[in-house]
Amino acid sequence: MTSTDAPAQPEEQPEPAAEPPAALSPVPTEEPRRRLHPMSPLLHGAKSIAVIVAALSWQTLSQVGVGRFALVVLVLAVGVVILSLISWLNTGYHIVGRELRIQDGLLWRRNRAIPLERLQSVELRRPLLAQLTGLAELRLEVVGGGKTEAPLAYLTVRDAAALRERLLALAGRTPAQPAPAPADPAAPAPAAPTGERPMLQVNNQDVLVSQLLTPQAFFLPIGVAFVVVQFVLQGSWGFVGIASTVTAMAGVLMQPVRRVLQDWNFRLARDTDGRLLVRFGLVETRSQVVPLHRVQTVTATWPLLWRPKQWLHLRLDIAGYPGPQSGTDKGSDRLLPVGDFWTARALVWDVLPGVDLMALPTTPPPARARWLHPFALRRIGAGLTDQVFVSRWGLLTRQLSVVPYARLQSVRVVQGPIQRRLGLATVYADTAGGRSGTAHDRDLAEAWALAEQLATRARRAREEHSGRDVVAAAVTDDTTWQRPPAPADQPSADQPSADQPPAQP
Amino acid sequence: MTESSVSPPDAHRVDPLEPWPDAVEWRPVSPKLITVELINRAIWVALLLAGLFVGWMYNDHELWLAGMGAVVLFAIWRSFITVRAVRAWGYAERDNDLLVRHGLVIRRLSIVPYARMQYVDVTAGPLERAFQLATVQLHTASAASDAKVPGLPPEEASRLRDRLTALGEDRAEGL
Repeated sequence: MTSTDAPAQPEEQPEPAAEPPAALSPVPTEEPRRRLHPMSPLLHGAKSIAVIVAALSWQTLSQVGVGRFALVVLVLAVGVVILSLISWLNTGYHIVGRELRIQDGLLWRRNRAIPLERLQSVELRRPLLAQLTGLAELRLEVVGGGKTEAPLAYLTVRDAAALRERLLALAGRTPAQPAPAPADPAAPAPAAPTGERPMLQVNNQDVLVSQLLTPQAFFLPIGVAFVVVQFVLQGSWGFVGIASTVTAMAGVLMQPVRRVLQDWNFRLARDTDGRLLVRFGLVETRSQVVPLHRVQTVTATWPLLWRPKQWLHLRLDIAGYPGPQSGTDKGSDRLLPVGDFWTARALVWDVLPGVDLMALPTTPPPARARWLHPFALRRIGAGLTDQVFVSRWGLLTRQLSVVPYARLQSVRVVQGPIQRRLGLATVYADTAGGRSGTAHDRDLAEAWALAEQLATRARRAREEHSGRDVVAAAVTDDTTWQRPPAPADQPSADQPSADQPPAQP
Repeated sequence: MTESSVSPPDAHRVDPLEPWPDAVEWRPVSPKLITVELINRAIWVALLLAGLFVGWMYNDHELWLAGMGAVVLFAIWRSFITVRAVRAWGYAERDNDLLVRHGLVIRRLSIVPYARMQYVDVTAGPLERAFQLATVQLHTASAASDAKVPGLPPEEASRLRDRLTALGEDRAEGL
């Protein structure tokens, strides 16, 4: 799946775009290899300046002086531009049948074929510089490997949107109508797919307020006071000192600020094929297309500080995105950056049809598990519904994760030494998204039964799923965007959680 | 496996190593794995002891000797555990999934459906080869999946591999 040998490829041709495609392609559907936009090397170079400055650090600046520092940065940036220029000359992509082929590499040539049936999601990113120049980066997510395997940076927005539409059309499960016209590249494509139905727009003010209600924002005044006091007492106001402090503070503050910037103008929509369109970002605008059957898990989180507002945020996991543990905040897994419970409920109902955030009963672990969870015991729970495995945990930051049976990869039962003393075990429901649904500290017999149930239900869901998929694509259009059935009595909206009567799994 | 096993009849007589005793037939791994594991441990212990001994030569302090004693004691204790742990290791092929259980201190059981299989690894280190053993590992799209069966005789390993791939192709669903 990674690299294919294609000896007949017009790889070394300097001007492949100019060649008649039929002349040298063995397959009639093959089209000429296409280049990325000629501005790409410059953008890469400009982007690298920030990295270079960070690598050289403020310390170096104070040692060598501004002039030489700028010179070094400039020389390095020009080097990067030259390197990216060479790499740009060697990079190309084209679509062959139901595969996207990408050639790149400077010393080690790589010729990668991506089967489009395996496509998990497609994202169109526009960093600030790309926005200024009218370009965009197209990122394809496939399973395997910790990083995005196929970033195409950069294309013009129109090209990128057109390519995305084509890729998604080819990736659609229904074995496409006889190859949708090997589109000539110049054909104008609609930037936004037609028939797109907006679902949700998050209020920017809410995003701002929600990020002010984070521990980082609360600690900011303390941090500032501390720094000011320190400077006043020591009386050293050197440029390096201030610059370093500001950088360090920025590191702490970065997360909420970055969240605000990323979640700015967050919009959700559905296109006619039932795919989810997610758009967000201020400085770097991003627009993702996620086929609904690629959603692995949905997690709802109620942070402590958001409780007065009765807010929560929703996250979805897609196979192929780096998991949360990889540290960077790049994981673009938002489904709802901030919203109230009813919005979230409608959204979950839409993404996982038939799953009602209100009706997810869970049972807590047996009382003897309090040795392991002295405070949070009542907040932990797990339960099985018709379609999903539900688990919740967390005392201060409450979380709830929903794993559809059809997405289960494997089931594990793990029992540590203390759990063995207490006759408890933990059940994990693994998905390809990196996060596992977890039933903490269940009674041993119940754990076995739960594992068996999960395995059985996952199998049944898989069997149904393979039959239902084609139908679903046709049905999802209008039927799914309806509100979940209104509950008879409206309980407190803040959490539909552990206070509910236990249901036997 | 049927639906009837949802509520186990007697919750108090559950053996942590024998879930569903009547429905699953566990197969053990080769007892030769005990020898392999012990030799493996012996090598590590020897290296550690050598390191501590060198330290003791240069710096005559009782702590080094105490460290060596601790290493030896720990190794002996672990060796007893190893014998039991290898006996506890088992796998079972059911109609739709592979079960693997292992571990004594931390007990783990994995249920991996054949349909979710991405690929199968068969590996054999030098020590394992000397004892005619191999390890079969089943990988799914989830990194957390944990289905590794060590200590299989080569013919059993290739049988398992072939069976897994055959079943995987049969029921392929991928993601």
